[in-house]
Amino acid sequence: MNALSKLGRLASVAGLVLAPWLVGCGGHTARTLEMRSALDAGNAKGAIKALDEELDVKDPKDLPGDIKGDNAILVLDRASIQQGLSEFSLSKRDFEAADKAIDMLDLARNAGDSIGEYVFSGSSGRYQAPPYEKLMINTLNMLNYLETRDLNGARIEARRLSVIQKYYRDNLQNKENPVVGLGSMLAGFTFEKSGEIDEALRYYDEALGFTGFGTLSEAVRRIAPLGQYRSPRIKALLHEGEKDDKAAPGLQGADDDTGEVLFVVGYGRVAHKIANRIPIGLALTYFAGSIQPHDAAAANKLAAQGLVTWINFPSLAPGRGKWDIPSCKLDGQYVQLEEAVDVDRQVREEWKKIEGKIIVSAITRLIARAAVGQGIQTAAGRDNVIGILASLGAQATLTALDTPDTRSWETLPARVAVARMRLPAGKHRIVIDARGWQRTQDVVIEKGGWQVVSLMALR
Amino acid sequence: MKLRFLPLLSIAALGLTTAGCGKEVVRGSNDPSIDAHALSTGLDKDDIQRALHETLNNLRAAPVMNEWRSTNPPPNVAIFPFQNSTSEHIDSMLDALLGEAETWLVESGTVQVISRERQTQMIREVEGQQNAVFNPAHAARYGKQLGAKYLITGKVSGNDERSEDMRRVQYFLFLQVIDVETSAIRWQRKTYVTKAIK
Repeated sequence: MNALSKLGRLASVAGLVLAPWLVGCGGHTARTLEMRSALDAGNAKGAIKALDEELDVKDPKDLPGDIKGDNAILVLDRASIQQGLSEFSLSKRDFEAADKAIDMLDLARNAGDSIGEYVFSGSSGRYQAPPYEKLMINTLNMLNYLETRDLNGARIEARRLSVIQKYYRDNLQNKENPVVGLGSMLAGFTFEKSGEIDEALRYYDEALGFTGFGTLSEAVRRIAPLGQYRSPRIKALLHEGEKDDKAAPGLQGADDDTGEVLFVVGYGRVAHKIANRIPIGLALTYFAGSIQPHDAAAANKLAAQGLVTWINFPSLAPGRGKWDIPSCKLDGQYVQLEEAVDVDRQVREEWKKIEGKIIVSAITRLIARAAVGQGIQTAAGRDNVIGILASLGAQATLTALDTPDTRSWETLPARVAVARMRLPAGKHRIVIDARGWQRTQDVVIEKGGWQVVSLMALR
Repeated sequence: MKLRFLPLLSIAALGLTTAGCGKEVVRGSNDPSIDAHALSTGLDKDDIQRALHETLNNLRAAPVMNEWRSTNPPPNVAIFPFQNSTSEHIDSMLDALLGEAETWLVESGTVQVISRERQTQMIREVEGQQNAVFNPAHAARYGKQLGAKYLITGKVSGNDERSEDMRRVQYFLFLQVIDVETSAIRWQRKTYVTKAIK
């Protein structure tokens, strides 16, 4: 080997070793630890303060100077917490900024991201939001607009939701995402209250494809005569309604002296990701089914050497509060809530789909680190003690800098429940309680009017 | 892994980590090229100016404008918000578009433009306090209450599509002049704007 090629190889190795230092950041969960601790203690304002510090902004009204990278996920976290505090304007602004940034990240992902993920760190690539996160951005922001009675804004969010939903359905064959049910229910409500009945029926039809929207039946029967849209599901519902009318005539209609309230209650938090570091031998035992024979052979060889052979990978932490029962009272009487979506279950199902690939990339990084060490040793000379030490040092450093990808939207509610009811026009008191978070709201319902009241108890 | 790939991997890794450094704040008047860059799929100043240039040139030569020029005293015209039927939160830019059109009309001296603050009050009166938002179906009612002979308003619809590596929004903008008395559309002009992230 001539001196030039030796030098080139050393420079290459040095470049690869230095690259992770230039990234210079800890894992995402480390950035959000303070936020989670504050939320666990029921201190939502403290959680926002912790996020503001991470985003390097002085005020919750400020957006970070750079929202193109992982800051977008922190802005999403802040949007959810603002919604939980009924700061709907701030929540809207954060959701919209994060929505655009996440979309940009998603579209900008390229082969370079995969190279980074497979060579030195799981968190080196651009963030790719899973389907339930993309769908929940527009769903929860629609809720913000409905809370502030801005139907124009809610319609825009409903259309944005439809674009993403269509993309997942047609391009990624992801048809049965229950998050769509909640989004479609809110979109149907938006278009119903905007007087666009056929559009409302189309969305309600979608929502009725999922469980948890029993209270929609009454609304569908009430508005169907005003529109043309019919589907087998809606026809069946109308047919059932006719039978009920014959059995019990004189049910309350829309022309009476009533208005309507829609309750939306999110509670708990979905499972976030945590970093794990385990010996390769143990990883081979845990994830034998996910690893290709070729990778398994290479990893086994490394395990047999017994030197700096650790793999770093993310896994899901337990979710919080999904088994709690929220309560909702209207003028002192309990309102029956229906579960609309178990978001935590979606997180786990989506994780199962990608877990194998993540483990494989972690093992590939381990093999890459070993190759770097081997390269240093070869460049320095096989029996050179300094070369051996440098090789071990480089492998140990790369192991330490290999940051598992723990990025996710951590402040999504674990579950969302809904209720919809008609009530006499006039003043009413609503009290929603979940996980120790409470919202008391006095509402004035006009005849034929409506109100949406929500609580996101992200504890 | 073969060591011959190391130089390539090193370059790729360093390239990935050094991208995106060195931000600076730039003033548009010092660097006009910054207005030319599209940063999102929403509407920006460049889109508004292009759309208005084409539309107002058409209005300048329209029969309704000739009628206004020959009417004494000049007729009262109210300008109402665009109806946004797109998937983008572009209402502030649509307001800016109407503001530009309003300025153009005032400067033309052919009509008396009713202030928009007055219109907001009227919308509140017609729609009620709890739902004080512009309803296009009631535009003629607002116009009558304001004593306007003509309304200028518009609508924008959009086609938003997403693929694995691209998001494209096609806008269809319509600007129209409506006779309050008869609800007849006296003039209408459409323009198209397409924005994409790819």
